[in-house]
Amino acid sequence: MTVLLAALFLLVALSGTGVVLTREPRRQVFALAVNGTVLTLLFFALQAPDVALSELAVGTAATPLLFLVTLAAVRISRQR
Amino acid sequence: MTVLPWFAAAWLFAIGIYGIASSRNLIHLIGCLSVCQSSTYVLLLSVGYRWGAAAPIFYDHPPGTMAVDPVVQALVLTDIVVGATVTALLLAMVLQVGRKYGELDPQKLRPLVARAHR
Amino acid sequence: MNRRWRIALLGLAGICLTPAIWRVATALPRFGEPSEQYGPAVNRLGPALRHVSNMVSAVNFDFRGIDTLGEEFMLLGAITGAVVLLRGARGEDLTAKAARLPGRQVIGRAESTILICRLFSPAIMLFGLYMALHAMVTPGGGFQGGVVIASGLLLTYLGEGYRGWRRLIASPVLAALEGGGALLFALAGLAPMAAGGAFMQNVLPLGTFRDVFSGGLMLVTNAGVGLAVTGGFGMLFLEFLEETRATQSEDTR
Repeated sequence: MTVLLAALFLLVALSGTGVVLTREPRRQVFALAVNGTVLTLLFFALQAPDVALSELAVGTAATPLLFLVTLAAVRISRQR
Repeated sequence: MTVLPWFAAAWLFAIGIYGIASSRNLIHLIGCLSVCQSSTYVLLLSVGYRWGAAAPIFYDHPPGTMAVDPVVQALVLTDIVVGATVTALLLAMVLQVGRKYGELDPQKLRPLVARAHR
Repeated sequence: MNRRWRIALLGLAGICLTPAIWRVATALPRFGEPSEQYGPAVNRLGPALRHVSNMVSAVNFDFRGIDTLGEEFMLLGAITGAVVLLRGARGEDLTAKAARLPGRQVIGRAESTILICRLFSPAIMLFGLYMALHAMVTPGGGFQGGVVIASGLLLTYLGEGYRGWRRLIASPVLAALEGGGALLFALAGLAPMAAGGAFMQNVLPLGTFRDVFSGGLMLVTNAGVGLAVTGGFGMLFLEFLEETRATQSEDTR
């Protein structure tokens, strides 16, 4: 359990760094979804199933969709 | 391992702030803000964890078994959902900025000045 | 301020704060050996006091119910703000056709996508409803169940396309869900005062332990939160997706 938790903490730090260092917004959306999944695993390992459920639905579905739609709408409005 | 979670949370916050300060695109900036938010979730849940304890849901195991702290979990769980709606509000604002200026670079945005009707 | 100056100042601030962060991180209680008393007290006394087995829901809706009321209204405020911003700038002329970007090819939806979405979106919405209803016994609650139902709505959009999706969901229904949920929560707080108790005091019968309908007033507040989160996220998706539609004038071109 110690090894699993330590690995998950390091993985979360890594995926957070990945979100920040992905400068292109269209690619950052996928980094955000991966970050949400890794956070879900960490919360699950920290014995917090409620929090993991919430983060899974929000971080992998809702937030990336909002980002993608904003990008599309900005691109469309630039075209006009 | 005893201090790794605190440093992981501090690292996430620091890298999120660096992303916000050095961002070239407003939408990328909001993504870095969500990394800052996730650092607080990691910190809060790590504060409540206890070695060898179970989840604070006494459906399968009888009440009285060692469980982790439910109060921080309640805080984090509402925070995740509300944080997503605040992100949506910020994205709506960024959309208006992108429409009005055609530009999403924070460096190139200028304060609103009265300008002649184009 | 120049970007380089900004990063330099940030680096300077980081260097100055690093000893403080080190000191705090090493002075916090060791990971896994917490020293606070409130959480273990809730775990020890909660099941007997409120007859629920999900202590996180008990803390959310009963022991710290006023905090959740505040969060609920924060959610309502943020969603209202986003909707007002988007609708105010968009105007009223819109169709259901997607905006066409010149030179960009339009790829239709694959049949397998439509099939999978049609199979899974009702299942996911049912699962979200199950999660929201079983707030008091298993991991779940209004917040989680509401977001899962909203993501089921998203799958419906993927499978049916925008026109079909708009026929299924109507904006007034989502607005009523969202506002009605928040109103239900607020009324659940005020009603015990009419019966002579305190704000949000648990005056309903508490039920038996490990039963779905245990917890008393927590069930009402949980239902309010679930409705509000579902309606709120559905509205957000609707308003954001409307931004990608063509205007009337472009449609007739």
